[in-house]
Amino acid sequence: MKKHHNNPDSCTACTVCIANCPVTAATRKFRGPKMVGPTLERMRLSQDDIEPSLEYCSNCKNCDMSCPSGVPISTLNMLARAKYFKNRKRSLRDWILSHGEKMAKLSAATPGMANFGMKMSRGILKKIGISDKAPLPAYASKSFSKLFKNLKQTSYPDKVVFYPGCFINYNDPQVGMDFVAVMQANKLEVIVEEGFVCCGSPLVVNGFLDEAEENAKQNVQILKKWTDKGYPIITCCTSCGLMLKQEYQELFHIEGVAEYAKHLYDADEFLLDLHDQGRLNTNFGTLNEKYMYHAPCHLRAQGMGLPGVELLALIPGLDVQDADAGCCGISGNYGFKDDKYDISMEIGSGLFKTIKESGRDTVVSECGTCRLQIGHGANVKTLHPLTLVRKSYEAYHK
Amino acid sequence: MREYDIVVIGGGLAGLMAAAAATKRGKKVTLLSLGSGTLTIGGGIVDVMGYLEGGIPAATPSAGLLQVGAGHPYKKIGRPAIEESIRFFKEICEQEGYSYIGNLDKTQWIPTAAGTLKPTCLVPRTMDTTELKKADKVTVLGFDALKDFYPSLIAKNFKKIPAFAQKEYEVVMIDPKLSEGRDVTALDVARWLDTEEGLASCIEKMRNVIDSGSVVIIPPILGTRPSYAVKEKLEKALGCHFVETASVPPSITGLRLRTMLVRYLKKNGVRIVEQAIVAKSIVEDGKCVAVITEGVDRERTYYAKSFILANGGFYGGGLLAEPGKVIEPIFNLPVEAPTDHELWANYSLFSSEAQPFAKLGLDVDEKMRPLDANGKVLLNNVFVAGRNLRGYDFSFEKSGNGVAIASGYQAAMSV
Repeated sequence: MKKHHNNPDSCTACTVCIANCPVTAATRKFRGPKMVGPTLERMRLSQDDIEPSLEYCSNCKNCDMSCPSGVPISTLNMLARAKYFKNRKRSLRDWILSHGEKMAKLSAATPGMANFGMKMSRGILKKIGISDKAPLPAYASKSFSKLFKNLKQTSYPDKVVFYPGCFINYNDPQVGMDFVAVMQANKLEVIVEEGFVCCGSPLVVNGFLDEAEENAKQNVQILKKWTDKGYPIITCCTSCGLMLKQEYQELFHIEGVAEYAKHLYDADEFLLDLHDQGRLNTNFGTLNEKYMYHAPCHLRAQGMGLPGVELLALIPGLDVQDADAGCCGISGNYGFKDDKYDISMEIGSGLFKTIKESGRDTVVSECGTCRLQIGHGANVKTLHPLTLVRKSYEAYHK
Repeated sequence: MREYDIVVIGGGLAGLMAAAAATKRGKKVTLLSLGSGTLTIGGGIVDVMGYLEGGIPAATPSAGLLQVGAGHPYKKIGRPAIEESIRFFKEICEQEGYSYIGNLDKTQWIPTAAGTLKPTCLVPRTMDTTELKKADKVTVLGFDALKDFYPSLIAKNFKKIPAFAQKEYEVVMIDPKLSEGRDVTALDVARWLDTEEGLASCIEKMRNVIDSGSVVIIPPILGTRPSYAVKEKLEKALGCHFVETASVPPSITGLRLRTMLVRYLKKNGVRIVEQAIVAKSIVEDGKCVAVITEGVDRERTYYAKSFILANGGFYGGGLLAEPGKVIEPIFNLPVEAPTDHELWANYSLFSSEAQPFAKLGLDVDEKMRPLDANGKVLLNNVFVAGRNLRGYDFSFEKSGNGVAIASGYQAAMSV
């Protein structure tokens, strides 16, 4: 029962997805995953049926996760959204939010200017429908690919291919650099392929399915090339990972995804697998520190548990507590939208409260946009698990 | 290799209880779940034994236990373990601040949203009928726009029940002003009461239509969280007694119970893997070494010393029906079933007999280990719990959550 059979008739209308949908809990404007997904999909199969509340689905995948019958509800919603926009004009707002990679490339020449410009233009962005309160990410002064090119790695016979994704590449390159350092500490050399493009997740959620498919085709070809040669592919972003291995299979018909997906790993899971094989460098230095942890929905959806929590448990002294308070609400660029910002903050309110009540000032999470939202909503610092792994390796040698 | 003491397959009530009992024994547990189980569909009340064969009500759950046939899971588990499991369940509820009332020696007849009574054993305090039974006058309170709860239907049908016929019923409505957007369900109203503003507004609206001292029948709306805070605040503010009815999905009482049990497991260090599609197993010399999940990406192997198989029946995917045969897909355990599948169903509507298909499942010994047709144990370290067991029709006899709790507990204690 693999999850890429988009059959609405598998839905028995049991309503479990409604009880688990964070958007449904936050707003009555959304008619809920069951109705908007499988129920209306049966109508859409025969006619051009328009459901206005479809726009409220954030593609967080909690419906898919709760479904006892294996219906990929959120994917049905994304396909319906693409169909809806097939012959309709898109807003400038949705174009901008979907094309983070293009925007970043435009800004790459002068990220400082771009950040300054973005601050100045929040009023303008508000006019086109991007919330002036939302935690839009700043561009890093140097992209990951630039930093990586200037990095001297030790060469090892065992190599891994890194898929950085847009957020790490343009906004949070330090996570990528921490990843490389951790791989090097495990006697692995990192390959970064220039030809990778945005995984397509931000495009899919705004209905730019054709463009997402173009990106997918390019990524699939490269990913397949490397896994055919026997190299594992690793991501540090759980939404990229989910898109590359699962959503490509649910949304498109591209040959080769199932083959490379066997060798596509989340970084934390990859390190745990090394540990299982007795290959992990366990020279962990003690970190007497306390953190909260937030599990991104797109990690939970991947059926591998919480590898970050298990990995960090190997570090002596480290105290990591799982907040276990559900979706943070951001869902990629959902929470950036002016008309969704309040919903997004309402969804995350339980998590923010849990974090604040813990008294811990830093939250660990794999997903970049979850980290933005948590920093914004709970007023705390955030970091990726691998940053702590690197720190622990460095502490060992001190 | 990471190895756990116990891998529990299934995140429904049987799996959750098995994991709870196992951690209580100090075992290191991984729970593999797919979907969020049927608690949120079926409900959070614990039926143990409501109806005997022929549709005759059991005098008490206890008496019902004595009258089940030889093939029934309760017969395998035995009375002492059933009692212990119920005690253990109530202990967890108490400890988590969401206690359940009831015991095996008394059937609790609780009101449903259809205005009927159904027999059960344990209920949350929001469904306590003590005051309802004593009252001469009962208020039935509905919410404008709320589907699936029609107070006048309830009042009308209660008049037909001998024990409730003498009471006087008053039907009142309030408007939660939740009309924007989608249809209103009990879940929407419960979420409204989760918020302080919603609760305050609800109290004001209720004050206008119900008198202090009333006994009030309501849909299951007293908050979505496993806590009695909403009930207590409402009752204190209005001086009334509220009684939630059993109702249709999504089940609020089931949602509360599931939230509470999952929280309990996580607190006790159970590793929970969601979206885990367990597809096969590795068996060597009559022992299971590992089970394997089949993701969209790849297989993952979970090693353990023992395994508890609690992945449901036909609905949950623990049993698969094919023409003329039933398959247990993970271990390929034998399921005895008539080869003529026409015989699986009882075709008469509202029959006083159980459904044959509902009784199909795995045969086990008293330790819940799977047996072959000759009664020989097939796997020494695999223990079965919940709906995949043979010999009972939970829907007909009203025993589903009772069997889940007792068999989950017994499986964990047998490890």
